[in-house]
Amino acid sequence: MRERQRNVQGWLFVSPWLIGFFLFTLYPILASLYYSFCDYRVLSPPKWVGLANYVALLTDRDYFLPSLWNTFFMLIELPLALIIGLTMALLLNHKIPGIGVFRTIYYLPSIMPVVAVAVLWLWVLNPQYGLLNAILTPLLAPFGLQPPGWLADPKWSKPAFIMMDLWAVGGSVVIYLASLQNVPAHLYEAAEIDGAGAWHKTVHVTLPMISPVIFYNLIMGVIWTFQYFTQTFIMTQGGPQNSTLFYALYLFYNAFRDFRMGHACAMAWILFILTLIATLVVFRTSARWVYYEGERG
Amino acid sequence: MRINRLVIIAGVVLAVLALPACQRRQQEQGVVHLRAWTMWGGDEAEAFQVVVDEFNRTHPHIQVHNLAAVEDTKIIRAIVANDPPEIFTLRDPGYLGSLAGNGALLCLDEFFKQSGLKEADYAPGSLSQVRYKGKLYAMIYLQDCFALLWNKDAFKEAGLDPERPPKTLSELLEYARKLTKRDANGRIVRLGMMPPDPLIIISAFGGQFIDPKTGMPTADHPRNIEALEWYQTLIEVQGGAEEVNAFQAGFGQEMGINNPFLVGKVAMMINGQWNPYWFQRYGPRVRYGAAPIPYPDQYPHQKEPTWLGGNIFCIPVNCKYPREAWEFLRWTQSIEAQVLFASTMHGVPNILAARKERSLREGEPWKRAFAVFMDVANSRNARHFPPTPITGLYQYEIYSATDFVRYGSKTPAQALRDVQRRVYREMLRWQR
Repeated sequence: MRERQRNVQGWLFVSPWLIGFFLFTLYPILASLYYSFCDYRVLSPPKWVGLANYVALLTDRDYFLPSLWNTFFMLIELPLALIIGLTMALLLNHKIPGIGVFRTIYYLPSIMPVVAVAVLWLWVLNPQYGLLNAILTPLLAPFGLQPPGWLADPKWSKPAFIMMDLWAVGGSVVIYLASLQNVPAHLYEAAEIDGAGAWHKTVHVTLPMISPVIFYNLIMGVIWTFQYFTQTFIMTQGGPQNSTLFYALYLFYNAFRDFRMGHACAMAWILFILTLIATLVVFRTSARWVYYEGERG
Repeated sequence: MRINRLVIIAGVVLAVLALPACQRRQQEQGVVHLRAWTMWGGDEAEAFQVVVDEFNRTHPHIQVHNLAAVEDTKIIRAIVANDPPEIFTLRDPGYLGSLAGNGALLCLDEFFKQSGLKEADYAPGSLSQVRYKGKLYAMIYLQDCFALLWNKDAFKEAGLDPERPPKTLSELLEYARKLTKRDANGRIVRLGMMPPDPLIIISAFGGQFIDPKTGMPTADHPRNIEALEWYQTLIEVQGGAEEVNAFQAGFGQEMGINNPFLVGKVAMMINGQWNPYWFQRYGPRVRYGAAPIPYPDQYPHQKEPTWLGGNIFCIPVNCKYPREAWEFLRWTQSIEAQVLFASTMHGVPNILAARKERSLREGEPWKRAFAVFMDVANSRNARHFPPTPITGLYQYEIYSATDFVRYGSKTPAQALRDVQRRVYREMLRWQR
């Protein structure tokens, strides 16, 4: 009896989570799978159309495929963020006076709200009055070159976004930094005794020891890139010439501008599958380069 | 286990107590409370609140409660969730067709007939903007309308007569070229003409978005192509897409002292009737004029073209108090209500008689230019985007086609044919 009572109470206490999970997570996920096979205009009941949404999307050369390409382009950001983030973390890992101040300064951009950063960068990237072009113009002038139009230029709009995101790389720096401090000092000592310099210590001790964290940042980066939305929604709305129409933005347009919820749901599932594949690829390769302590390397 | 039981009991008691609190509002005797979700925020929300207060004061049996700064998508979610407010506005009039086409809006024809409102009292576009397939689905409370604004000092500087705005669209190109100013390095410091909304130019050319007979899209109508060709020339005479874009990217917010027209970065623009008031407020020293939008030289019957918009008020189809909600909408169509809102929101009354109201034409300096807009709105060449279920997509397609034309990566004909292919397919899907 007592046992049963405890069970009931246990279920009651987890019920808020259970109800929330089934009602607000599992049900919407399954519903979106169903809707992805429907012509669903939100305001009228969905009609089953089979694979029509998927076929229409995968043959859409005007928007869907470009939006996918735009998103893939943004993956360039990942290695750049890795190199810059790691370099900064290594620099900030030195025990010098006032290092806390530097760490704070470099971390700050990443805790600013995305919207505020976007509005700020609209001005930094402004072709005429922006800070960036104010610096570039005199540098490029001797070569007879003009600085790019950044967000006003379809060729430069994506690089502009990448640059903006790299400014806020501090979030991953902190994670790298934490793992750097966990690298046992005796490994460095051993390496030094073997005659390793700074470079060899970094490549043969530091990198393998923090590889799980690099791996984590990489996976999160892939997922984050596929969901890239806020910056473009605020700054360019997909323009110019659809050069910043990223996947998630086009998904949003389908759902809330064009009332093509069926398309939007299909896009969401394609996105899920793509993310899954990308993550699996990273996972597969990870066996070769990620080293876990306590595992036989 | 006593503590656990206490916690559960306390929770249940709290939940029971909370229920009646939610329902208390409806229990007042004889007074109907209506929720109105509207698009306006800030100063504009205050202007609308004045209107609501006036209605509530004169209609003690109905109390309207305004929720300011509501996004259209929030309204759509509320409709889907079957709990929409009794009255709502649409920020993007493009949603009207999709909502009406899906049976989400209350048809107002019956109410309109019984209310004694007469079609003849309405300004052009007032009812056609909110009619979908012949049925009335909303009321407009003030229109938006567009005219040409020009900076007189810039005209003088460029050697043009400051009292004579361009009359035709080829003249406008000529003026735009003359008024575009560059610094020693050849960079633009003043744009002759702000690149206008392509929809307005298309309508000025007598273009067409929907075939009135079949209801199908006609994005690649010859006049539409002509309009985008003109647009392309306008960009070219001012230095090309890249230069114009780079310069335009430096424009500040229009609602404020950094308005590009007020700071002299633009000499001419086609813009809405809210500008005269903004100019008075944010740049009272700027000398400007307002005139009808120039027409295409080859089509003189297209004289005084203008583009209309409006504040659209809808009632959802399953509204619990349709009569009371209609009473509010009906009241917005009275001359008092029109003038009251027009004087604070600076929109054009959609009831013809209210446009003649002296208090909107005389007095403060902004009202003289505002009067030009009110007259332009009467033009027989006043157009608006026809309500369709695909308006949002259609307009986006035209904007993105214009973008391609601007950069020269597609010809106007090519770009509009691509639009046509896509919107036609989308329209067919809606008709299934």
